[in-house]
Amino acid sequence: MKALAGIRVVDFSWVRAGPWATRWLGAFGAEIVKIEWPENERGRLPSTTTPQHLEVNLNTSGNFNDTNVNKKSLSLNVRTAKGLDIVKRLIAVSDIVIENFSSRVLHSWGLGYDEQRRIKPDIVYVSMSGYGHTGRHHHYTTFGPVAQAVSGLTFLSGLPDQPPAGWGWSYMDDTGGMYGAMCAMTGLYHRNMTGQGQHIDLSQMVASVPLVGPALLDVTVNGRGSRRPGYPPGNRAHWPGTPLTANYRGGPTVAPHNAYRTDPGGYNDWCVIVCQSDAEWRRLVQVMGARSWASQDKFATVAGRLQHQEELDERIEGWTRTLGKYAVTDQCQAAGVRALPVQSAEDRVEHDPQLRHREMYLESEHPALGRHKVQNAPFKLSETPATNYLPSPMIGQHTREIVEGLLGFSREELRAGFADGTFWPTQRPRFPYQEEMLR
Amino acid sequence: MTEASPQPGSLPGPLAGVRVLELADETGQFCGKLFGDLGADVVKIEPPGGEPCRRIGPFLGDIPHPERSLSFWYYNTSKRGITLDINTADGRHLFRSLTAPADVVLETFRPGHLASLGCDYATLSKNNPGLILCSLTPFGQTGPWRDYLSSDLLHMAAGGQMASSGYDETDVPNAPPIAPGGGNAWHMGGHFAYMAIMAALVHRTVSGRGQYIDASIHEACALTTESAIANYIYRGEVLQRHTGRHHSAGPSPRTQFRAGDGNYVCALVGGRLNPRYVRELADLLDTNGMAGDLRDPKYQNQAVIAANTSRIIDGLVAGFIASLPAEEVYHRAQERGFTWGAVRAPEQLLADPHLSDRGFWKEVEHPELSHRFTYPGEAAIFNGSPWRISRRAPLIGEHNAEILGGELALSAGELTMLMENHVI
Repeated sequence: MKALAGIRVVDFSWVRAGPWATRWLGAFGAEIVKIEWPENERGRLPSTTTPQHLEVNLNTSGNFNDTNVNKKSLSLNVRTAKGLDIVKRLIAVSDIVIENFSSRVLHSWGLGYDEQRRIKPDIVYVSMSGYGHTGRHHHYTTFGPVAQAVSGLTFLSGLPDQPPAGWGWSYMDDTGGMYGAMCAMTGLYHRNMTGQGQHIDLSQMVASVPLVGPALLDVTVNGRGSRRPGYPPGNRAHWPGTPLTANYRGGPTVAPHNAYRTDPGGYNDWCVIVCQSDAEWRRLVQVMGARSWASQDKFATVAGRLQHQEELDERIEGWTRTLGKYAVTDQCQAAGVRALPVQSAEDRVEHDPQLRHREMYLESEHPALGRHKVQNAPFKLSETPATNYLPSPMIGQHTREIVEGLLGFSREELRAGFADGTFWPTQRPRFPYQEEMLR
Repeated sequence: MTEASPQPGSLPGPLAGVRVLELADETGQFCGKLFGDLGADVVKIEPPGGEPCRRIGPFLGDIPHPERSLSFWYYNTSKRGITLDINTADGRHLFRSLTAPADVVLETFRPGHLASLGCDYATLSKNNPGLILCSLTPFGQTGPWRDYLSSDLLHMAAGGQMASSGYDETDVPNAPPIAPGGGNAWHMGGHFAYMAIMAALVHRTVSGRGQYIDASIHEACALTTESAIANYIYRGEVLQRHTGRHHSAGPSPRTQFRAGDGNYVCALVGGRLNPRYVRELADLLDTNGMAGDLRDPKYQNQAVIAANTSRIIDGLVAGFIASLPAEEVYHRAQERGFTWGAVRAPEQLLADPHLSDRGFWKEVEHPELSHRFTYPGEAAIFNGSPWRISRRAPLIGEHNAEILGGELALSAGELTMLMENHVI
């Protein structure tokens, strides 16, 4: 049993945030009809995640596969009258419409909320645009890094007196996607309870701002900005030699609180250690072998450890360098000390015993890519498991199923739509599975 | 404005009628806030004396006090609060009474703790088959790391955030991987937990049945590094960290530039340079007379552009950005269709007119202080059922009389006895 069984989603989403949203609706069992057009596809191509031994084409992006499991693909030129009519027939039998175009696109197609509502009165429409559909900068555009920059998220990451280190990926594409799914399900719940649909106007830039909440309250309540000496304090809770102020990381101001190099000193050979109390520190001292340096009075109190943090961190690293990052982790955690390894993607997939136990990466067969691990869900629902059940669709793979099976078109009409460029560009070579569906 | 109606201020939120009991520390309070701000009736159950994360700063006026934690204020809006020690028999009895009419219980105890108190899902759902119980914990309820201790920094390390974030060696030699700040491990866990609970709530509107949810913050973080996992699984790549931009398998053009006022600008140029982009870029740079030779027809050739990428980005674009304040670059570029942004400190957001246009900032009344404070608002505008903060965070035990006295019908004498016995 799936939580969203019987729910159908018209999915216009293209670049990362949108497909990440519908991935989760799909994981919960909604039928995701992904509407794609090969000429302006941006999630499949350009691909930097095609296995080295395969040709780069619309069906061989590894990242697309991971981002679009549990979906069906309808290839359709929405920018034609006939294509638009088909979309409207699809909306009439759907529950949710979700898209992540710029703010005016759907409206310009004649598919704004008013039209959607005319077709399907209780439709839940989630628009995921950069700046939202209202406000003076609604026409501005974002990708994750820009939303992160403009909202203050980028600024929160880095070492003092250095440029921001920021986020090494589009955190707000991941998180914008989360909000897309959260909004869709919240709107769906409301619809089920009241019978009312609505337009939910999500903005990637605006959605970033609440993630900076405590720093913003420090401004509005205390008048303290983040542009100040010692902030951001890198991986530390506090930067030595600067005024003691909150760091907004959601934990206490303590030392040790840092990343330390581990053996054999490679690029990702680091372990983080945090002691949130004197008791935790004393346990770490024991784990490190009760060396005399560690028993000095100046390290016995949190105030002392914060004051002598440079020396403290240097000393701790002297110990961590003698061990691998998983050994440091295991020894510390066995003694009740907070420590975890810095993990690359390879580490998470191959070496993390917890993720393995929880089956975070399970293999799945894809017709073009072959057998690969796919990311699973971070929650286990006892009655409606959100496990992956479909590989990502090849482009247009489900066109016949949807057009004939769901919308009731004939095989002749399907062929006519391929002939006139509604279901596939007339000049573009078709994949074998498309030839198959036209037989 | 096209189709959005004015914010319907008086309508109930989309989760009106949903009762959530929250027993959460700093790891789960954000999830509860999402429910509260979206209209659910969230009752926060704190231990007597208050939840320990009330000790996290900053504090109002820099005076440390459990009622003055801005971190607590922020993450606990739109909730009511009671105190209850569920480690006592009396406390457990009251907790069970509260779960009978509840829709959702969100808890962040160490794995097994609730069950050890006789409050596992099977027991709690006996009289309430529609109950949804979500345990949101650092590593989930099973596995070799189940009982490991954690913190935001630890999650950012093991989740992969740090492996992707940091500096180019040429910018900051020997820099460590950097854990982005802001407590985002808790946000990642909260988002996924919210989503799972919502799926269960939607399912319940059809089936009438609740369920148990085991959510893991470590897994939530491990899922939040965009394509890093795919880069490894499909190509075996280990990604390098770069200053203020995406991880990548090889070298990549920089996207973060110092502006004339010393602030930075995020300008996504690399990978986008083609003849049309160069023409538009020349127009943008010309607004400050900085286009250099970019209008030379030779740049209308992709091969010439490719051969000059570094000169265009590190010379002309960097020069243009260095000639103006960051905000000025941001707006000039966006008005011309460039996806660029200023790297702002949080305090700069208060002056952003776009956020004001969307009614983003919320004035929240703190009656005990006779003061209203400005809070960041909601991620999205729900045009039919508003997402909005309904009240400030609860004071310690603020609603004991209202909920324990009112709903559970305890007398004043009983409440006094419970207080004296450290149950509430």
